[in-house]
Amino acid sequence: MLERIARDRVATLFLVTVAVLSLVGLAAPGFLSAGTATIIWSNGLVLMLVALGIFPVILTRNIDVSGGSILGLSAVVLGLALNDGFALPLALGFALGAGIFAGVVNGLLVAGLGVPSIVATLGTLGLFRGVMLITTGGEWIEELPEALKSLGAKSFGGLSIMGIITALVIVAVWWFLRSRRGRWVMVTGDNREAARHLGLPVRRIELLAFTWAGAMYALAGITFAAQIGFVPNQAGNGIELRAIAALVLGGISLLGGVGSVGGVVIGVIFFTSIDTSLVFLKIPAYWNDLIGGAMLLGVLLIDGRLRIALEARDRAARYRRGSQAEQKSRPLEDAA
Amino acid sequence: MKRYVMRWEVLLLAILVVELLIFGMINPRFLRPSSLLFGTSDFVQVGIVAVPLTLVIIAGGIDVSFASTVGLAAIAFGIANFFGLPLPLSLLVGFATGALAGVLNATIIRLTRLQPLVVTLGSLYMFSGAATVLSGVVGANGYEGIGGFPAGFTALGYAQVMGLPMPLFVFLCFAAVLLVLLHLTRFGRLVFQIGLNENAARHSGMPVFRVQLMTYVLTGLAAALAGIMLSAYFGSARVDLGSATLLPAITAAVLGGASIYGGKGSVLGTVIATFIIGYLQQGLQMSGVPSQISSALSGALLVLVVALRHGAALLREFLPERAAQAN
Repeated sequence: MLERIARDRVATLFLVTVAVLSLVGLAAPGFLSAGTATIIWSNGLVLMLVALGIFPVILTRNIDVSGGSILGLSAVVLGLALNDGFALPLALGFALGAGIFAGVVNGLLVAGLGVPSIVATLGTLGLFRGVMLITTGGEWIEELPEALKSLGAKSFGGLSIMGIITALVIVAVWWFLRSRRGRWVMVTGDNREAARHLGLPVRRIELLAFTWAGAMYALAGITFAAQIGFVPNQAGNGIELRAIAALVLGGISLLGGVGSVGGVVIGVIFFTSIDTSLVFLKIPAYWNDLIGGAMLLGVLLIDGRLRIALEARDRAARYRRGSQAEQKSRPLEDAA
Repeated sequence: MKRYVMRWEVLLLAILVVELLIFGMINPRFLRPSSLLFGTSDFVQVGIVAVPLTLVIIAGGIDVSFASTVGLAAIAFGIANFFGLPLPLSLLVGFATGALAGVLNATIIRLTRLQPLVVTLGSLYMFSGAATVLSGVVGANGYEGIGGFPAGFTALGYAQVMGLPMPLFVFLCFAAVLLVLLHLTRFGRLVFQIGLNENAARHSGMPVFRVQLMTYVLTGLAAALAGIMLSAYFGSARVDLGSATLLPAITAAVLGGASIYGGKGSVLGTVIATFIIGYLQQGLQMSGVPSQISSALSGALLVLVVALRHGAALLREFLPERAAQAN
């Protein structure tokens, strides 16, 4: 049982999420319904997209903390383009382009110049937020057209268009990571030098991971603008840390090479369900951070101790096997 | 001679001088001693947390939770004061909260063997959450914070010592203590050694955990110091007192020469970098540049300086090869 918990983080976290949700369901009747499920899904969309963006970057053993700023920047590009009278598809293209460009900047700094990714993206976190504020002049962008808001409104079976796109992205990432080239990402993160000696284009893989992240932040920015209908100055502030926390909870190792899409999804849903449950339980919102942080630390603590215990047991078992094999082989040697 | 001139700190000092001269040319009032001196009160709290953070980074760790610890310690101090504890005891409560936060971080990192970034990210949320909940206990609302400090305490925020404003004086004293601690003591050598190779340090019997614990506790104490100083300066303890120090403090440590991989860095570098970052923001504001742009510029500064350093290192690896080919 313990072994399963430690080995399969996704299943464990899924069970914990179900347990938490059913407990909340007991305390607040009417919570457990399809309606709540779609609410959790749509509340978690922006976080999900940001997490899906950081995911490949972390798999390559880098980190990207500039997500919140790129989200804000592309949301602003979208808003300004729309309010200047560009057609919606064109404006969406601009926003995606801005996100991809920002991702390429990160990628060039890390893969090209060899700047440690945490330092590079901390710098661009400030840089892109500043660029965003300069373009808006510090003002909020309001009165976004209805066509954009309809992207975030419920349409098919309780899901919004962005919700469906996110689901497709999740399937795409899952499919890609199973493919041959998808494994390259894992290999790069697991052992960069070995990957390089095997002839993998390590730098290009890193650059592409950051570019993908930029594109996902742009999608998150579009979703954000579509859902709330305006773009405040602080759009996306701090979401990168939440996303990284959700990824860690979902079993994605910051040491690279380990993690699954299932982990990303369940990590984000767990975080979002806690926030949503607190609303249902009528607990004031200011408890969110304390409960979320304590749960994150608790999961990390239990998981870390379990992993260490398992490793020690495995090692002890190996030693035992080793010494038994030695005893068995000795008589043979004597006979010879 | 070359050993003293060709140093990162000297280059930083040159950047600082050039920066001050440029802002002086744009706005001569910027260079008045009084504005240079008293302007520091707006940014020394960044330096106060950045200096012990440098120690954490040199020892191979990282701490992002200090940004919440500042607020948490300030709130703890404010609550102790609110319930009528005498000032020294309230101060003790504040500092103890900061130290405890450091102990918690180091212990969880040690117990789980997880990356410090992950653990302190979790505690970043938990501490700010705890501070918010605590401030709710005494019915303070988020923006006003907990006030009602004795007049003698709030006067400290504006007091002067030897012609220096109090916050700057505290910062310089604190930095001097850590400078000695890091560069002139056994403990400091241990910090560098552990950052260079933690396993080697452990196998040669160095007290790895105790040293790392010390660095995190120092960061927690510094965060408490910053929180209490800011409460005196603003006259109230708020949850979000430290949130604006997160990025500038890490920037200052990295700009000051600390390597994120551990084993490299200096207190002096971080101190100079703090002034570069602080005066950059102030100079830009006095030159009439909106604060949005100054945040972009300090981000750009970090990217540029670090890119230059790594670019120069790449170039150095490149050049001897070229020279060999030319022969």
